[in-house]
Amino acid sequence: MHDEPLLEVRNLTVNLLTAKSAVRPVDGVSYSVRQGECLAIVGESGSGKTVMNFAPLGLMPTGVTTMLSGSVKLEGRELIGLPEAEIQKLRGKSVGFIFQDPMSALNPVRRIGRQIAEMAELHLDVTPRAAEARALELVKLVGISDPVARLRQYPHELSGGLRQRIVIAIALAGEPKLLIADEPTTALDVTVQAQILRLLKDVQRRLNMAMVLITHDMGVVAGAADNIVVMYAARAAECGPVDKVLVSPRHPYTQGLINAIPRREDPIGSEFRGLPGIPPTLGAPIKGCALAPRCELAVPACSNSRPPLVRSDDSAVLVACPVVNQGKAAA
Amino acid sequence: MTQAPVLKVENLQTRFKSVQRGKFVHAVDDVSIELYPGEIVGLVGESGCGKSTLGRTIVGLEKASSGRVLLDGVDLSALSGAALRDSRRALQYVFQDPYSSLNDRQTVGEAIDEALVIAGTRSPEERDRRTKELLDQVGLASAVRDRHTRELSGGQRQRVAIARSLAVNPRVLICDEPVSALDLSIRAQVMNLFLRLQKDLGVACLFIAHDLALVRQAASRVYVMYLGRIVEHGSSKELYDRPSHPYSQMLLASAPEVDPRIEKHRRGPLMIGEVPSPTNPPSGCRFRTRCPLAVDDCAKALPPSRVLSPGHTAACTFAADLHRGNRTALVQQEMSAP
Amino acid sequence: MNMLNPIFARLNKMPRAALITIGLFVALGTFAPWLAPQDPSTQSLLDAGLGPSAAHWLGTDHLGRDTFSRLIIAANTSLVSVGSVLGVAMTIGILLGTIAGYHRGWVDDLLMRVVDVGLSIPSLIISLAVIGIVGPGYWTMVLALALAWWPMSGRISRAVAVSIMSKPHIEALRVLGASPWRIYFGHLLPGTIGAVMVYATADAGTAALAVATLSFLGLGIQPPTPEWGQMLVDALPYLESDPRQVLLPGLALTAAVIGFNTLGESIALNRIPKPLTRRMLAIRRAEVASWGKENSDA
Repeated sequence: MHDEPLLEVRNLTVNLLTAKSAVRPVDGVSYSVRQGECLAIVGESGSGKTVMNFAPLGLMPTGVTTMLSGSVKLEGRELIGLPEAEIQKLRGKSVGFIFQDPMSALNPVRRIGRQIAEMAELHLDVTPRAAEARALELVKLVGISDPVARLRQYPHELSGGLRQRIVIAIALAGEPKLLIADEPTTALDVTVQAQILRLLKDVQRRLNMAMVLITHDMGVVAGAADNIVVMYAARAAECGPVDKVLVSPRHPYTQGLINAIPRREDPIGSEFRGLPGIPPTLGAPIKGCALAPRCELAVPACSNSRPPLVRSDDSAVLVACPVVNQGKAAA
Repeated sequence: MTQAPVLKVENLQTRFKSVQRGKFVHAVDDVSIELYPGEIVGLVGESGCGKSTLGRTIVGLEKASSGRVLLDGVDLSALSGAALRDSRRALQYVFQDPYSSLNDRQTVGEAIDEALVIAGTRSPEERDRRTKELLDQVGLASAVRDRHTRELSGGQRQRVAIARSLAVNPRVLICDEPVSALDLSIRAQVMNLFLRLQKDLGVACLFIAHDLALVRQAASRVYVMYLGRIVEHGSSKELYDRPSHPYSQMLLASAPEVDPRIEKHRRGPLMIGEVPSPTNPPSGCRFRTRCPLAVDDCAKALPPSRVLSPGHTAACTFAADLHRGNRTALVQQEMSAP
Repeated sequence: MNMLNPIFARLNKMPRAALITIGLFVALGTFAPWLAPQDPSTQSLLDAGLGPSAAHWLGTDHLGRDTFSRLIIAANTSLVSVGSVLGVAMTIGILLGTIAGYHRGWVDDLLMRVVDVGLSIPSLIISLAVIGIVGPGYWTMVLALALAWWPMSGRISRAVAVSIMSKPHIEALRVLGASPWRIYFGHLLPGTIGAVMVYATADAGTAALAVATLSFLGLGIQPPTPEWGQMLVDALPYLESDPRQVLLPGLALTAAVIGFNTLGESIALNRIPKPLTRRMLAIRRAEVASWGKENSDA
């Protein structure tokens, strides 16, 4: 493990401009990921978690103008301000992507082997023969049985879990140092989820990669991640080691998310726990704390100014809630 | 239960023509379930098990190839036309995706009003009063009436969809993954709504889902489905404490724990392989290709449903053993092997 | 006034030139009987073949009839006949297409095979066959062309109907116990008509050309009713001596057809999100700047 984080994000703000509107899906967020570490970014719809990872790498849809400010450093190299040509070289080679829906991520009219080999050829600058060999290697690496036969198949012939394994193989083809997985198990059955997560962890450890896991499923976080950033309405609400944040959540939103998961001890027919109201839609940055309308700890001061993300009573955990931090400090 | 069931499904079979000529996909294969008045019953299974098809067949969106659906003792397959439509109204359906189950061009008021007209409420004043009442029942402010459905959030839309279903005074609600498409923090709101409807209106609910933890807390009884057949059925408590079918055990064990201290150190379980194709299900017990306990006999015939305790049945040769907890360790061991 | 805003918004997205051309065509065509300065049928052999003058703005044709008036009335003829053709064709097509889409099964198969037969025979051949059997005449022409035109709208309505029927909100209506009439007239038909109308606008140009072609062959609009195709065939003998007589109706026809086709194309291509114009970008940047920067997490 190196001392310098592989990915360092400082005060990242993303503004998206379209013909119809201007939106700020990421508002001054900071975090870092070391080699061999897995960071989970958790949030619901409208939290900005996906944009945060895709925008600095130029993956926003056409028709949208992206304005980035702050700093995103990959292996010490600043990404913001880098021309598209340079960023293109990084995509696939230094950063591998795993998307949510394996069926849309794969080309339906090309054989699996070809798709993986294509990536290897592109990023590793090898001959087609060598790329095919690499594809076979990768398919074995992701635990697919009968790999030679699989390489000749088309995506629609495979089940969801197998397709996701292929997507992972493609992501690894360029030998990236950082893997960004956007909801990699959401579209899969629960029994297959466990297998895929196990695979991701395994691969990450073996290849000593850094991984950013974007998800809304706390169970996935608990098994796979070392650190966690909880996003709400474009801002970070809480961050810290998974062992601490999931076991004793401090921020009211984190608590709400964790409470929302039904527990074994809950009697049958008892009320479900969650948060009242609805998450805000992305738009202009919200004055004060975005959770205030839904939060039972809210005081008038909460709506005045944005709560700063500061160390809580546990120095490893940062919380953006003055009410919570004050209470702890007093105690 | 001494009451008569409000919904009784007997040996239902729904099949589709397969891509392969001459073959059929038996999405629902000889399924029998019962629902009693005012109870919430869960139906769990993974994708391809046929749970959605079962729900759709019950309400008439798919045609059953054999079997019966009895509503309050009335055989729906014996009816047709307007009589069928009227009787079937007592069975309503809540869709998974709240973004497509409402007509984007309508306002909330129009959507509910249309349902009321279909239900036969003639006078506009009565419809107006009922609309207000329904919106109140689902926890929406009456100001929402004049807003277009496309302006609402997922959770709000789902409530409107539920209000629309309630407008025709159903006895049974078939809910197909009603909260899967909603944000985590909002799911509780809709789930609590279902609990409230059950308590206040006595509506019985068949809750189809793949989220086991959710189902456990809401439902009093649960059916587990695999490749078109019911493999286990019992009360929530029984099922979750003493699962007696290998598939149920694995399903429960696969559900991730939120406590990282527990989750990180779990050695198992890993379900072996993937669900076989529904066109060519394995002979005999359908689960045998992935089951660590499978023996030769399992391929010969479908395992009969064994009664393990009142109300708890499982279709496995080893069900009794698993129920007693004897072979559970064996299953766990198999699962932990890397 | 608020109701027209969405219409104006949609019109704004369409190419200006095409809109103006079609607008002119529709306006002239509608008000032609009042706008035409002179009676298009008045012959005056003494004045035949004159060039543009104060009395006749675009000159006269070989029989001394005022060309300008004839052109405008021809626009009217085109408008009415194309409108009739499309109207009848769409009605038949929507009816059959929605019934096929609603019922599916053997009804769908049967109707779509009929549509296939209709589509496989070139439209002009069908029309010529009908007119050949019955004899030329205004309504014969309209019906003959409608017979050639309906299969395409039948196919489009069926496709739209099928997609609407599979939508969850229609399934929801079925579960609620809505009668087939309610679903058909309340939801299916309105949705289908919208889609088919769009296609109709795009196809109007081809229909106008078909009317002109038939009239050119003498099988469509009969004289003395002015019509561009007919005017073209009348002017052919004078192609060298007085090309104006050929050019003018030719240009009018071309302009109308191109206008409709461009409009249709722009409707079809409307789906692509517009890139930001510089003006829009500046507005958005200003908006973002106004948000300022609150203290962030450092």
